[in-house]
Amino acid sequence: MISALSLTRYYGALKAVDAVSFTVERGEIVGFVGPNGAGKSTVLKMLSTFLLPTSGQILIDGLDAAVEPLEVRRRIGYLSGDTPLYLDMRVDGFLRFVGRARGLRGAELANHFERTVATCGLQGVLEQRVGQCSTGFRQRIGLASALIHDPPILLLDEPTHGFDPLQVMAFRQLLRQLSRQRAVLFSTHIIADVEAASDRVLIIHQGRLLAQGRLPALAASIGKPQAGLEEIFAHLVQTGAETAHA
Amino acid sequence: MPELRSARAYGEGALVVCARELGAYFDSPIAYICAAVFLALSGTTFMNTFFLDGVVDMGPYFEVLPFLLIPFLPALSMRTWAEERAQHTFELLLTLPLRPSQLVLGKYLAALGFYLVVLAGSLPIPLMLCWLGDPDLGLILANYLGAASLGGLFLAFGVFVSCLTRNQIVAFVLAALLGFLFVFSGHEQVIEVLDGLSPSWQAGTWLAETVSALPHYQALGRGVVALADLAYFALLSAFFLWANEQVLRRGKY
Repeated sequence: MISALSLTRYYGALKAVDAVSFTVERGEIVGFVGPNGAGKSTVLKMLSTFLLPTSGQILIDGLDAAVEPLEVRRRIGYLSGDTPLYLDMRVDGFLRFVGRARGLRGAELANHFERTVATCGLQGVLEQRVGQCSTGFRQRIGLASALIHDPPILLLDEPTHGFDPLQVMAFRQLLRQLSRQRAVLFSTHIIADVEAASDRVLIIHQGRLLAQGRLPALAASIGKPQAGLEEIFAHLVQTGAETAHA
Repeated sequence: MPELRSARAYGEGALVVCARELGAYFDSPIAYICAAVFLALSGTTFMNTFFLDGVVDMGPYFEVLPFLLIPFLPALSMRTWAEERAQHTFELLLTLPLRPSQLVLGKYLAALGFYLVVLAGSLPIPLMLCWLGDPDLGLILANYLGAASLGGLFLAFGVFVSCLTRNQIVAFVLAALLGFLFVFSGHEQVIEVLDGLSPSWQAGTWLAETVSALPHYQALGRGVVALADLAYFALLSAFFLWANEQVLRRGKY
């Protein structure tokens, strides 16, 4: 469903992303892990069509994102790392605005709204202004805005930011539930999130994809079958090894 | 009929953005304060002239209006894009399945709508004049058309300038400077001074005839509704909206 083909992105002279390629299929949760500034957010911004790659190609559901950005956006639910919300709007007004902007109207909008509010547990804050909600609730509102049109593809940048441990556990369950019919790619620098919630891992460092694959395969590839993601990550960064498609 | 359906979808998308923006204006204390100051200043200036001259004529209201719009409209338009950038909602908007032109149009129509509502706050003046005497209603209508057109132009470049920065103060100052240029370049005394500085190529007259909005506004204010004046406002406003759309498109690179 998501194909990134040799994505490269420059910010001026700085190469933020360097020839990154990967795919994510329907029913799969892929964790995108790397330290701050590794290029995770830039890759997600390109996949969401917010930024154009300097070179490379993005195919979403078979559609070229550079050629058909509107069709691609209809298929994507995107939560940016900054959790972009209109703080002066009421929660219900904000979600309805996003739904309308995504082409939902009348009964269809009402159904999607009810379902998303229930999924994200927002019943208690619907009449509050977004700015009055806690960080955890704001993150849930952002997630609801990414889900309201029931997209087949979810791109989530640091989705557990601001969550307490219970909310993190609930989020992992939600992610599992959502991934049944979707392709989910989420970025984080919290190793535990990736270990607990993802089927497959992409490891990025300084704009380069160091490795991708299932955790046991990655551990085996560095010669330490019992290694956790933290150890795998440290090993790859130190050796600079490129274990593509482990 | 696919063209009709897509035109309808395009309009609906722009209206969704417009409705959100209008809601934000009517929810903003800054917008209310600016509107109240604008109405108080324009109203008291007119009433002062009205009591001194004792003529049933709304002309003096519209003579002062362009100078009051120089600070008022940039105060309305400064937030349109700058605030989106500062609050990071820019990314939300640009990843919705809407064209950049729909976003620009929606924001512009909302700012114009709010301005027209504020301008409608001056309607008690013509009502009062009708009650006191027999004013030329056609002339008043032409003047309102001029005020709407001039405001439309101010907001078009105000929204454009707001897209160039994340700082609302910078957006305000740049838009006010542009407004100053478009108004004062058509002012008689400025034309005289500039012509005096460059007698060979008459820079003042050239500026007034080619750039300035004031002569076109004043022509409408005399009751002459000419296509050339309306086209000036429409084309120049459209140019700034197009430039705004280009900035959004270029921002992806």
